[in-house]
Amino acid sequence: MIRKTQTPRKSRQAKKTSAPRRRAKSKAKPKVKVSAKSKRRSPRQAAQGDAVGPLVVAGVRALGVPLDPAWHAGVTFNLQLILRLAALVDEFALPDHAEPAPVFHA
Amino acid sequence: MLEMPGADFAWRTAAAIAGAVASGQTSALRVVEAALARVRARDPLLNAFTTVTEQRALARAEALDDAQRSGKRLGPLAGVPFAVKNLFDIGGLPTVAGSKINRDAAPAARDAALIGRLEAAGAVLVGALNMGEYAYDFTGENIHDGASRNPHDLDRMTGGSSGGSAAAVAGGLVPLALGSDTNGSIRVPASLTGIFGLKPTYGRLTRAGTFPFVASLDHVGPLARTARDLALAYDAMQGHDADDPVCADRAPEPVGALLDRGAEGLRIAVAGGYFKCRSAETVAAVDAVAAALGANRDIDIPQAERARAAAFVITASEGASLHLDRLRTRARDYDPAVRDRLIAGALVPAALVVKAQKFRRWYRDEVLKLFAEVDAILAPATPCAAPLIGQQTFTFGEAELAVRANLGIYTQPISFIGLPVVAAPVPLAPLPVAVQIIAAPWREDVALRIAHALEAKGVVAALRPPF
Repeated sequence: MIRKTQTPRKSRQAKKTSAPRRRAKSKAKPKVKVSAKSKRRSPRQAAQGDAVGPLVVAGVRALGVPLDPAWHAGVTFNLQLILRLAALVDEFALPDHAEPAPVFHA
Repeated sequence: MLEMPGADFAWRTAAAIAGAVASGQTSALRVVEAALARVRARDPLLNAFTTVTEQRALARAEALDDAQRSGKRLGPLAGVPFAVKNLFDIGGLPTVAGSKINRDAAPAARDAALIGRLEAAGAVLVGALNMGEYAYDFTGENIHDGASRNPHDLDRMTGGSSGGSAAAVAGGLVPLALGSDTNGSIRVPASLTGIFGLKPTYGRLTRAGTFPFVASLDHVGPLARTARDLALAYDAMQGHDADDPVCADRAPEPVGALLDRGAEGLRIAVAGGYFKCRSAETVAAVDAVAAALGANRDIDIPQAERARAAAFVITASEGASLHLDRLRTRARDYDPAVRDRLIAGALVPAALVVKAQKFRRWYRDEVLKLFAEVDAILAPATPCAAPLIGQQTFTFGEAELAVRANLGIYTQPISFIGLPVVAAPVPLAPLPVAVQIIAAPWREDVALRIAHALEAKGVVAALRPPF
């Protein structure tokens, strides 16, 4: 365990030592039904799986990020996970005029 | 000087400490010295603190006592020791944010804004707290500083990324700590360690002087052992700050005086569908809270699974953007688990990130409609009680899920659209777990009133650990 002593400018800082429920339907109407089917690996996802490894290699090269060969499997696993979740969002139909909310405003 | 009854300050609330210091029953110095002694004695086991600001704390306490003796009116947090997740700037120290890399950074020129606001109310900073590297974490583990440990079972996780904040409060080292919450990093550790946590509305509390993670999702807030203490700290920290571009220009809306209104008359529902509990402890926790509140209806939060997915995508992308330069130059100095996620996030196509941002607006509009029907929604805070440190997976219904990626499955769809939430701990045996009390934007008062009412009924409570 690394415990770093940090020294401030002015003062020394000491390093440490039920009832049944009635279901009320929301008014929102999902445009895409979530089903067990959507949780299975789709052909698109299968294709992604094959494509992600080369994407990692090309992508880090394009971005100038070093990639130790030992890291490849971990990065690929994480990118596959992100893309699988992104597909869940991507398949949700939104109108062309939908505005992004890059920062949430309550 | 009269002394507070009992010599043990360890489980004293912030409200009780402040009252005693302000009235002269005890001194701020005595309270702070006791806190520092607890840190020395217990933190080697809990690993909550990364820095103890002892001299600063003692000097601050002496100044408060001088003010009290000279008849000055002290603030509502007089003499209350507190500590902050180490992504908050502390003047004179580098802001490490749980990393190795930031240890080389220049010392912060000044304290984070919220430290200043708490100190202006009389609180006394005693140190900085352990956290998951760069806040990309739900476990409370840290490869550089070691894992923070759960006071209810030292072999178990605190949850993260505000793990040190939760360990320090649940372990009786301090009554109050600050954390940050991007996807659940206040609520998850509050749940696993059995304390209260408040994630306010996005933009309510200033983040000025904190190290960022995902700008469009980052929140800051308090952790404490009572809802009253959350409210005290929250009221002291409210107010616009031009130094945080997303801090809302709203007048403070104090909640402390509203707590005793209770939950009567509030329309409260239980989140169904995606939020349906799949473990015995979460079923027990949510059922107990719902029964105590007479919440006998379920409500669907539409497309919550997709909301969680969108939050995941935005987090990966924005987080990677923040770290891109460091990934180019110091990739080997990251925790490998964080590094791999960040590099992956840098490779996510922009078209998918923008789609997630468009979905966020749709989802926000749909969820806000629910608050025409209800005042608050109950949901589990975590899918399980505290896993063992190092545990890789947990059972979720019939599935086996990865701990690191999934402890926040119930918190992410809520912070995704910035709703205020109180995580309220249900003291189950052998381990606690919390329920999220979710309110409409800017209605922290509703969530805190409900938490306080549940506390009065004995349904939620931060139990002192056997340690």
